[in-house]
Amino acid sequence: MGAYRHFPIFMITLPLLGAVLLPILGYYRRRYVPYAASLPLLASGVLGILLMNRMPVEGYLSYQMGSWPPPIGIEISIDFLALFVMLVICGISLLALVFSWRYISKEVTGGRIIAYYSLFLLLSGSMLGFVATGDIFNLFVFMEILAISSYALVAITGNRNAVRAAFKYLLMGAPSSIMVLLAIGFLYSVTGSLNMADLATLISQSGFTQVLIVSYILLVIGFGVKAALFPLHLWLPDAHSIAPSPISAMLSGLVVEVGAFAILRITFSVFTVGAQNIIGGTVDAVSVAAAAAVLFGGIMAIYQKDLKMMIAYSTISHIGYIFLGITAFTKEGLTGAVYHMLDHGLAKACLFLCAGAFIYVKGYRRIDQLKGAWQQMPFTCAAFALAAWSVIGLPPSAGFISKWYLIVGNIEAGRELYVVILLVGAVLAAVYCFRVIYYMFFQPPEEGAWESGGPEAPVSMLVPVWVLSLGTLLFGVFSYLFIQSLLDAAAFLL
Amino acid sequence: MKRALSLVFILGLAVLLLYVVGNMPSMGDPQNPTASHVSPHYLERGVEETGSENAVTSVIINYRGYDTMGEVTVIFCALAGVLAVLGREKKGRIYAYTDHSKVRSSPIVRTFLIFLVPFIIMFSVYTILHGELAPGGGFQGGAVIGASMIIFTTIFGLWEASKSIPQKLRIPLEGTAVMAFFVVGVAGLIGGGSFLTFLMPRVTESLQPALVTWLTVIVEIGIGVGGAMIFTSILFSMIREEEEIVVQ
Amino acid sequence: MSFSNLFHNYHYIGAMILFCIGLYTVIMRRNIIKKIIGLNIMETSVFFFLISIGFLEGGLAPIHVEGVEASQMVNPLPQALILTGIVVAVSVTALALSMVILLYRQYGTLDVDNLMREEAEEEEETPQEKEGMGE
Repeated sequence: MGAYRHFPIFMITLPLLGAVLLPILGYYRRRYVPYAASLPLLASGVLGILLMNRMPVEGYLSYQMGSWPPPIGIEISIDFLALFVMLVICGISLLALVFSWRYISKEVTGGRIIAYYSLFLLLSGSMLGFVATGDIFNLFVFMEILAISSYALVAITGNRNAVRAAFKYLLMGAPSSIMVLLAIGFLYSVTGSLNMADLATLISQSGFTQVLIVSYILLVIGFGVKAALFPLHLWLPDAHSIAPSPISAMLSGLVVEVGAFAILRITFSVFTVGAQNIIGGTVDAVSVAAAAAVLFGGIMAIYQKDLKMMIAYSTISHIGYIFLGITAFTKEGLTGAVYHMLDHGLAKACLFLCAGAFIYVKGYRRIDQLKGAWQQMPFTCAAFALAAWSVIGLPPSAGFISKWYLIVGNIEAGRELYVVILLVGAVLAAVYCFRVIYYMFFQPPEEGAWESGGPEAPVSMLVPVWVLSLGTLLFGVFSYLFIQSLLDAAAFLL
Repeated sequence: MKRALSLVFILGLAVLLLYVVGNMPSMGDPQNPTASHVSPHYLERGVEETGSENAVTSVIINYRGYDTMGEVTVIFCALAGVLAVLGREKKGRIYAYTDHSKVRSSPIVRTFLIFLVPFIIMFSVYTILHGELAPGGGFQGGAVIGASMIIFTTIFGLWEASKSIPQKLRIPLEGTAVMAFFVVGVAGLIGGGSFLTFLMPRVTESLQPALVTWLTVIVEIGIGVGGAMIFTSILFSMIREEEEIVVQ
Repeated sequence: MSFSNLFHNYHYIGAMILFCIGLYTVIMRRNIIKKIIGLNIMETSVFFFLISIGFLEGGLAPIHVEGVEASQMVNPLPQALILTGIVVAVSVTALALSMVILLYRQYGTLDVDNLMREEAEEEEETPQEKEGMGE
């Protein structure tokens, strides 16, 4: 591997270092901060793409921090699924950052802009570290960076509703983090190790079944709050709809999915499929909750008046999809879940950024204000429609591919009821998406609301939006490039 | 209804946790998994591998240095979060928020504090540098400096305090901890190991123990200075708002 | 096995009871400062739990001095972990308190019920209030 084995650590640490250096730049030259902030993410993305070619499809790329062998030191272990998710994180973060160059100056002023970009880099760097790590306590540390930066980013505008939503998020998020720490304590007390691969062997030999069951339950609750799994989703609608739009895109497109990825990692790399007597009951409960999430999120989304609120509820529904894929315990289901993280990330980020573009240009947040928006903002509306196409899951979008694999995976596992729920979820998605599209394209605008030839969103906002929406299309058409590798990597986990 | 549900949830959790605790390995037993699996390595080989006699420091800085890198990022993140919520005090206009307290502190307190603060800072330097031999280390030392700043600010007010540690000094130093870790990490990489390797294979045997000690000291100082500056900045940004409330 | 073990592990019982007290405070108390205190109680209980895991019967501090064997020392790893945990807890508390300062400045109350009631009233009174920033 040569120098390539050092790439993952630089992918993680460069954004963190950038976040630390930004305030110094901001003290002397505040103007350059937005552009400088994109450099570390760009570097991480390039390193990730270079690493992608050298990546073995089966097994882990293990990097021993400080040259200490795994149970003693900390290990970064990346498999193909993790690298794929890391690349998605780099890409979407970079696009959301580019979007916020113009957008954020409307909502955030003064020295807070520096804090905004600093926190943004901390958020994306910590997500990369979170996905890559092979050590369960290190997972907790990165989860905390992720959590603290996202609480602060929700509150960044400083207006009262934003701070209240952020505080609500904190009051749900912080106890869940402590539960994760408690679960790590339980795991450590019965195994004496913190390394994931080491834990996997020790757990299969351990006699303390009750302790392991409870620690798995606590881990699922803890990461479930981060992932906004159905009964634990209460913080999500407020936080996602009130945060500035690029942050909504990050939270909805990445943060909740990273939480789901953590549960995937815990289930398959720490407890492993063999420990069915430990995780079985909890996994069944998670499937039920996920099915409820698909229906609840879809139905609530139909009733929303606020566009960002609707997209937020749709996120709850889609998190349910991902969990239905994970809990199927088949390689198709896992592939579908990971691919759904990709296409949901792209599509949701695109929808939130489009909503942000409407807010930037006109200040409109409600869905009925979008009547006839096509006449003034054709590019934004078209991108919105394309992304909504993928959210519904119609061919040839990426959403179709992932839902196809989710359904196949659930059929293979013999869970026909959940297949029906997945299909119902798609119908619900069609209802709430087509309502917005119908308003946008086929309704006459209200008097003075939209005028053809009026200002469209600026280029630095349109480019990210279009890259994301074309991404949903291209990852659907060219899915065969990735699917086989993902299937092999998933089969290796099972 | 909601309260009743919450109570049931908490009681259920309590019963579950107490049940599990009864099934845990008994406390303090040398045969426990925790006492027999990884920790003997830290205790037996720690001194020769990391050159630090305090096993906790050797775990924090060396064996699990990456965790500590995450940890210093967490406090930097807290600072960025506080600044995002409350905002930093204005550059060069700090004396707009002079001491508005009704009762000025007495000369005895002021004189005594001026006498005391150098000793507190000296103690914190001792704590930082002595961390590898005795209980202590970067965070503790940084927290002591932060505490001394709290005393100083409560007695003298924000203006005096922010003159003694101006923004120009604090902003570059806030990230020292993360930067120190990054520099030491890359140094390990250049030395032929992986990130954060202290025992570098490319360095001759005779130099290695000294190098390990010096890298540990660099990291400790970085953590101490960075932590102190971050605590001070958080304090200033919180106090600033408080004084604005008083003005209104 | 269960009961004798339960009373031998009395540290763990204390930690679990503290954990539930903290959770109770976070969920049930209406004052947001008290909620943050509850958060800190939860965190402290977990630190207590982790430190107890590393305990060794008759153990000494893990510092190498003359006349102390490695086998007599307590486990240093949980101590290192909770040092990280404490810093994390401090960071969360700092952020939470700064949010409390801002909430108090803008609402003039620390009571959760009042905060939520004002939210409901705002939505009833001015449904279009949120638009303002586009101009």
